Amino acid sequence: MNNTLIIAEKYFAWLPRFFKLVTPERWVIVIAVTLAVLSTAYSFTHGYIIAYGDAESHLNIAKRVIDSLTPGFAQLGGIWLPLPHLFLVPLVYFDWLWKTGLAGSVVSGIAFVVSAVFLYRLTFVLTKDGRAAFIAAIAFVLNPNILYLQSTPMTEMTLIVFFILSSYFFIRFLLDDTDLLMLILAAFFGFCASLSRYDGWGLVLVEAGVLVLYYLPYRIRDGWSQVLHGMRGFFAARSDKPFGERFGLLEGRLILFSTLAFFGILLWFLWDWLILGDPLYFTHSQFSAASQQQGWLARGELPAYHNIGVALLYYFVTSLESMGILLALAALAGVYVFLGDKTKKYQILILLVLFVPFLFNVATLFLGQSVIFLPGLTPPTFEWTLFNVRYGTMMVPFFAIFTAYLFYRSRTLGRTLVTGVVALQAILFVVGFSPVLAFKDGMSGLSSAIAKMPDAQAWIAREYDYGMVLTDDFARTISIVRTPMKMKDVIYIGNKPYWAESLVEPEKYARWIIMQKNDVIWRNLIDKPELNARLFKYFNKVYTSEDILIFRRIDVYPAN
Amino acid sequence: MKKDIFIILAIILFGATLYTLTLRGAPGNPTASEFKDNLDMPTYAFELSSERGRYVHVVSLAQRGTFDITEEWALVAYPDVGVHNDKYYSFFAPGVSYFTLPFYLLGSKFGLGQVATFAAESIVSIITLVFIYLIGRRIFKLPLWAAVFAVLVYGFGSTSWSYAITLYQNAFTACFIVTALYAAWCFGESRARFAWLYAVYVWLAYALAITVDYPNALLMLPVMVYLAYLTFLFKKTEGEGIAISVRWAGVVTALAFVIVTGFHFAHNVYYYGGWSKLAGTLESYRPYTTATTTPIMGTTDTLTSASAISTLPSVLLGTTSLVLATTTATTTGTTTATTTPMKEKTVSGFFHEQNIPNGFSILMFSDERGLLFFTPIFLLSFLGIWYALRRKGGDRAVYVVLLCLMALNLFLYSSWGDPWGGWAYGPRYLIPSMPWLALFVGVALAWGGAAFSKKIIALALFLYSSGIALIGALTTNAIPPKSEAMFLPINTYNFLKNVPFLQEGKSGSFVYNTYVSAHFSLLEYFLIIYGVLALIAVLVLFVSLFSRHE
Repeated sequence: MNNTLIIAEKYFAWLPRFFKLVTPERWVIVIAVTLAVLSTAYSFTHGYIIAYGDAESHLNIAKRVIDSLTPGFAQLGGIWLPLPHLFLVPLVYFDWLWKTGLAGSVVSGIAFVVSAVFLYRLTFVLTKDGRAAFIAAIAFVLNPNILYLQSTPMTEMTLIVFFILSSYFFIRFLLDDTDLLMLILAAFFGFCASLSRYDGWGLVLVEAGVLVLYYLPYRIRDGWSQVLHGMRGFFAARSDKPFGERFGLLEGRLILFSTLAFFGILLWFLWDWLILGDPLYFTHSQFSAASQQQGWLARGELPAYHNIGVALLYYFVTSLESMGILLALAALAGVYVFLGDKTKKYQILILLVLFVPFLFNVATLFLGQSVIFLPGLTPPTFEWTLFNVRYGTMMVPFFAIFTAYLFYRSRTLGRTLVTGVVALQAILFVVGFSPVLAFKDGMSGLSSAIAKMPDAQAWIAREYDYGMVLTDDFARTISIVRTPMKMKDVIYIGNKPYWAESLVEPEKYARWIIMQKNDVIWRNLIDKPELNARLFKYFNKVYTSEDILIFRRIDVYPAN
Repeated sequence: MKKDIFIILAIILFGATLYTLTLRGAPGNPTASEFKDNLDMPTYAFELSSERGRYVHVVSLAQRGTFDITEEWALVAYPDVGVHNDKYYSFFAPGVSYFTLPFYLLGSKFGLGQVATFAAESIVSIITLVFIYLIGRRIFKLPLWAAVFAVLVYGFGSTSWSYAITLYQNAFTACFIVTALYAAWCFGESRARFAWLYAVYVWLAYALAITVDYPNALLMLPVMVYLAYLTFLFKKTEGEGIAISVRWAGVVTALAFVIVTGFHFAHNVYYYGGWSKLAGTLESYRPYTTATTTPIMGTTDTLTSASAISTLPSVLLGTTSLVLATTTATTTGTTTATTTPMKEKTVSGFFHEQNIPNGFSILMFSDERGLLFFTPIFLLSFLGIWYALRRKGGDRAVYVVLLCLMALNLFLYSSWGDPWGGWAYGPRYLIPSMPWLALFVGVALAWGGAAFSKKIIALALFLYSSGIALIGALTTNAIPPKSEAMFLPINTYNFLKNVPFLQEGKSGSFVYNTYVSAHFSLLEYFLIIYGVLALIAVLVLFVSLFSRHE
């Protein structure tokens, strides 16, 4: 027995009207802002904003620029790129925003919303389909790794927004190379990306390389498989002009692009040279990532080092899990569909630009410049099995775009399936089947500060009254934002001449000394007998644990 | 049609013959005292706790009329035993025990209780073989030879063989999924008066599949979505709205599911103390003793006579075990029963996305359980899938459903904490996907060009795969994962562990041990069966008898 029910149009006519209240792009803004506020409120109320050790460091760097013992731009240092910290500077002026970490939430939150909007636009450029573009934005803003990171002062969102912006304008230029403004904007945002995280350097390099490929005058014969159609279509389309003319175009546009895009990198070399006396300070100083990886290497715990297969596997799985495995697989199907789409041009080049985070991270893992520990891949015999997994979130825009592309190229059943996959993946995150890696690392991984908070932290937060504090900030013995200290009360390695003098005459400025086993202060004041005697002459040891010692000046101790 | 009937009869006969020749067991109706260090040894009928855990309930139902087991039998099923209200239960879903009860009752009258119980699995597997053939012929529209070859691949060219001759849930699961899919397709095709019976069967199969293995609730979802797709037809009508055409038979027959699941819940309430309480979530039972270390043969599981460390208890949900705690296994002497409070167990807690990279590689490629390592004939399935997806026309919805079934199966068990399936032979968790993979092998051979070359390749792969399948079926399923094998004197963790058994004549085969061992060595027995199988495969692939008139 069959029955046919008719749901009259009038019953659901409100639906399109509702969605047309504002444009899809504005819906994206509304949704992104709402989610940003909600997730930040969640992180704030649960104390997760500064869960990462690096999160506090970013806040502190910005704070020191304007409010420290020796304020100034030199406080930006020479390892981490400066732009995210510069964005924080006006906000961390307010102690409350600094200590709660909300200064970072504001910066990352804005980056998140702009990212969502331009992800929508980028997908729209590729598909000319508002619904597909909306799916891309939704897949992005619903990603819990992204939602968490946008509530923190971490620099990933800053990079992601500039990555998306630069890619958006660059792809628009590829689709219409007469519009030079697009190329200039791509270069500008590439410049910003290159001053946000080193991944940005990879972006501008690849974009420059793509420009070269774009104008190279050669043709690939017909007969290639459908997968290579994009490459064939692109090159065939570009081979219609004589070599000289094409070379001239390449020369001009490459110079135009590179002048601005690579300026950030040049500035950074210059900065390190002027401030630290070594243009390559960021690559080989004791604070550089590469130096830190040497420790892992010595312990045999740098699995991807000089092993391309393992490097590929680590980043592939990390990025898959950051997106959620279902959506990532849908996106990979979308990539396949994109490459085979005969209606499009320049697929390979577009893919190359969007694929930069993957290439960059695999390269850095392979070269030993970075390390990722991921449960399931990292042997349980390693000291840590969860570290730096947030790098995988760089691929979320890529996956979001190509999930949407799959949606765009599907018919009704396929579109329903893709939408279902987006919803199902969200559910899998909620029920805990899919781990929220970036959050988990902040809570319990090696990146976490709160997982390793020592007892000394609570002690100093309770006992600190006033006076300067000598501490080795690089060792992260205690969390400054979680104490009543002001930043101008802290003497750390970046305070010349206070730091160097305090290591010889500890009583000269400091009322408090906080040291951790084997940090710079410990090696100077504990391990050197002559200074050790001086230390105990002027200071009382007021806190002792296995690893941390805290001293308080004797002569200024309140009399009562 | 007449030809199809002839072929179906041949499949039944051939399947019954090969399964009978390899069926695990020994004469008799074993009592609890006969298990320890006897029937629970490798190559014996109850070498692993999956068989024991289900069989003890069969015996209890037959002899005591109740599902719970006595403490004496609890020790037999140990370590996969839980306790509720001072009553003992194995951690396995109850369905298999109920389904095989009639066979036990019948067999026990002839002193063949165990053999008859295990034979139920073979019957279920033969039903699966028949429906693979029907699906190949009617849905895939495969030529006769290709459909028959798909049957051969599933039945005797894959490690499903090892689980068609012993007491596990895998064969039941495969049977329910295959028959339900076929019934759903028939429901969609038929407008006959009694077409609703097809829908009844689909719902019944879904409910019954859950009783044999709880994860089937998820695993069978694509079939149920397919049924919904056939039941509800959405159509946008110009100017009117959306027209939903409903075949009410597909909806009303859900009553069958409700009734069966109602009984299932009632069983859970009566025995486990709550309708949603699953066997695997019961509090673990641990017998205490001192005395010497006498190993307990784990199952799916973890314990073995020679293991340097033993791990217990293992928690089984459905059929699967997961090691939760590590301790030293000691039994013998007087045994004091006790229960150990453990962390609350949840179903969802065992599935985790982070297990997927490892689980996927274990199930697909590893030399421990890898599908393509044990059964490389399935390499051709990928070609078949490619052909099916590119083919215009045909029943694409079915292809999508089958792909979803396989993807879900792989996804689910890759994310499972124990993708090895404990001690097992091959990727037993992928058995529900094997019928479809076998059918896609048929597709790969029947469609597209280079037919002869593909058949040659298929034959070579089949000979390898069926050899591996047969050696497992004749000897043992008790193959440890690599991590546990490292602690064993024989450091092997795949079919290489079975080879010495074959050479030494140690077989679990009831027919061989009872009737043939006096006349042939096990190796000769193996070669005879293998030779027949190879001959049949050659005939199916190359002799025009099968392909004529197609």
